[in-house]
Amino acid sequence: MATLELPRRQNLTPFTIWMAGLVLLLAVGAIGMAITLIYGLQVTGLRDQVPWGLWITHDLSAIALGAGAFTFSAVVYLFRIKRFEPMARVAVFVGFLGYSSAMLVLAMDIGRPDRFWHPLIYWNVHSVLWEITWCVILYSGVLIAEVFPIVTELKFFDRYPKIREFGHSLHRFTWVFAIFGLALSLLHQSSLGATYGVLSGRAIWFKPSLPVMFIISAVAGGMSLTLLATLVVGLVRGVELIPRDLIRSISRVIAFALLGYLYLKLWDWAATSYYSSSPGAADALARLQATTPYTTTFWWLEIVLGGLVPAVILLWSQLRRNPAYLVSALSLIIMGVVVNRWNVTLSGLVVPPQWSPGVTGGTLAVSYFPSAVEVMVSLGVLAYMLTAFTLGARYLPLFKKIGEQEAAHAD
Amino acid sequence: MTDNAKESKQTEPLLSRRDLLKVAGATLGTVAITELVITGPLSPAEIQGIERESHGAISGENEWHMVIDLEKCIGCQYCMWACQGVNDVPTDEMRWNVGFPEVTDNGTEFFMTRPCLHCSDAPCVKVCPVGATWTREDGLVSMDYDRCIGCRYCQVACPYDARRFNWEVSEQENPYQPTWGTAEVERRTRGVVEKCTFCEHRIDRGVEQGLVPGEDVQATPACVNVCPVGARVFGDIKNPESKLSQYLDNNDTFRLREDFGTEPKVHYVRPESEV
Repeated sequence: MATLELPRRQNLTPFTIWMAGLVLLLAVGAIGMAITLIYGLQVTGLRDQVPWGLWITHDLSAIALGAGAFTFSAVVYLFRIKRFEPMARVAVFVGFLGYSSAMLVLAMDIGRPDRFWHPLIYWNVHSVLWEITWCVILYSGVLIAEVFPIVTELKFFDRYPKIREFGHSLHRFTWVFAIFGLALSLLHQSSLGATYGVLSGRAIWFKPSLPVMFIISAVAGGMSLTLLATLVVGLVRGVELIPRDLIRSISRVIAFALLGYLYLKLWDWAATSYYSSSPGAADALARLQATTPYTTTFWWLEIVLGGLVPAVILLWSQLRRNPAYLVSALSLIIMGVVVNRWNVTLSGLVVPPQWSPGVTGGTLAVSYFPSAVEVMVSLGVLAYMLTAFTLGARYLPLFKKIGEQEAAHAD
Repeated sequence: MTDNAKESKQTEPLLSRRDLLKVAGATLGTVAITELVITGPLSPAEIQGIERESHGAISGENEWHMVIDLEKCIGCQYCMWACQGVNDVPTDEMRWNVGFPEVTDNGTEFFMTRPCLHCSDAPCVKVCPVGATWTREDGLVSMDYDRCIGCRYCQVACPYDARRFNWEVSEQENPYQPTWGTAEVERRTRGVVEKCTFCEHRIDRGVEQGLVPGEDVQATPACVNVCPVGARVFGDIKNPESKLSQYLDNNDTFRLREDFGTEPKVHYVRPESEV
């Protein structure tokens, strides 16, 4: 197995420092979680008017950025485009970490975590959130089935050949998992946008474009995170884990997805805010612009830095060939997805609909800022993801084919 | 493309019999599944029939509505306090029935109060992932605190800010008891959402005893009973003789943000309407 070449007896290696930092953040997160469970959601910055905040943003982002798993699984195992094979295993691993992160945060965010299983027993088929819950739970099962064979390649399982054999036999059905993964992801990745898009009382959200924009940005963001993870591991190890022409192909796919996304967003904006304006949306937007930095974060962070700039870098081969530019472009896309999920969630909440028949009684804007506990929990879950990925990159054959264990040991 | 693939492309027909059968099978299968989900035993209607007998359909004999006459209201806030006493809402932030001083476009001052509007097409009912809130046969939007998981999607969906979440364990003394009422329902636990029920416990017990909600005080919401000027009228909209129906007939009323399509069951009389 390829590992970092480290000097034997040096205690303060970059790796130790990195892991120590992560362990510290994990402890911070654990404390935050304990506080939340003991004192309830009063420890958050949330309130009745803004009942969703940082944690929902974390959930949505983690799920969106985990979309690389279904994308690459479908490309490799369903459409059998062999060139992309080196991406498949790292993609499902990153996807699994994304979805498990989302579940961890969600378990903190719901008022009664002990009732997380209720949607499975008590059905409301009219609720997009019910559909999302089912899809996410089923898809997590798919991800476990896809990650399990990789885990059984650990040396530890030399002692349990039966389990490894089971892993290998699961691996033979990756095409089935790819089909389910594709179907479930197409459903819930878009329904997460519909969560907001179906609410007729909130003019800023109420539009059919949200589900489509959510899934396209998820595909772009998910592929970006997968590629970024691969590149960073390669840079740390000082090796090329995937061929350059593959980087080029993936970059182009991401860039075209981004451009498609920006095109949709352009018309989403032009049709509802430029060429015409629904009174409700215009009013809400005006209040949003007056009370929050929404205009700046939307145009600069989402559109320019999160979309246009990385699309140009990824399509401009001279820039893309420079690892610094490539890594920056992918990071910008990820930043753009996170900012977008934050903006979507908060924009509809902080400027509540005006329902009073008078002129003074309405609340123009409600402010929200995450509390220290919210930040602690989010940092902790982020640290979980990074720790698991670091260990996975070190000990799991993420960048090798199943059954190539021996060859891997040789290098 | 390999040589092999090229060859097969030349020799095989565009669509073999096998392919044709596959496509036909897939089409039939899709149609069958669609039927099953849209009209068959897996359809929303069927599933809900099993789940909640009256989900979303106001099919009962009665349908409870409320009128709030902003012209009559004097802003005494008794309705807010009586609600807190009877439904055991100890803090003002958690009020189910909110009120605040307001001004019309023309500068006329009035007092605006708002219970849950019990929308006939309630966004909160549609979005709840566990069906913890639903529309009863008599149109009341009811809640099951034992089923609620505390995801707060209903709060996000409600455009009228009618829902309250239990952010903490509610252990405070209730300053409105016993002056404004005694607790008739259990206090809610931490982590679930709550809201105005139109005092459904009174309606249910009253109807059982043959009383008429809106006429007999034991069967009428606390806020309606306590109003010293009769600014709140409650009753059955399906009964043309009810006090409520009469009031609606004799007054111009409006509902809050009808453009949302939520069909609220609370009707308002304008503060400047001439008698």
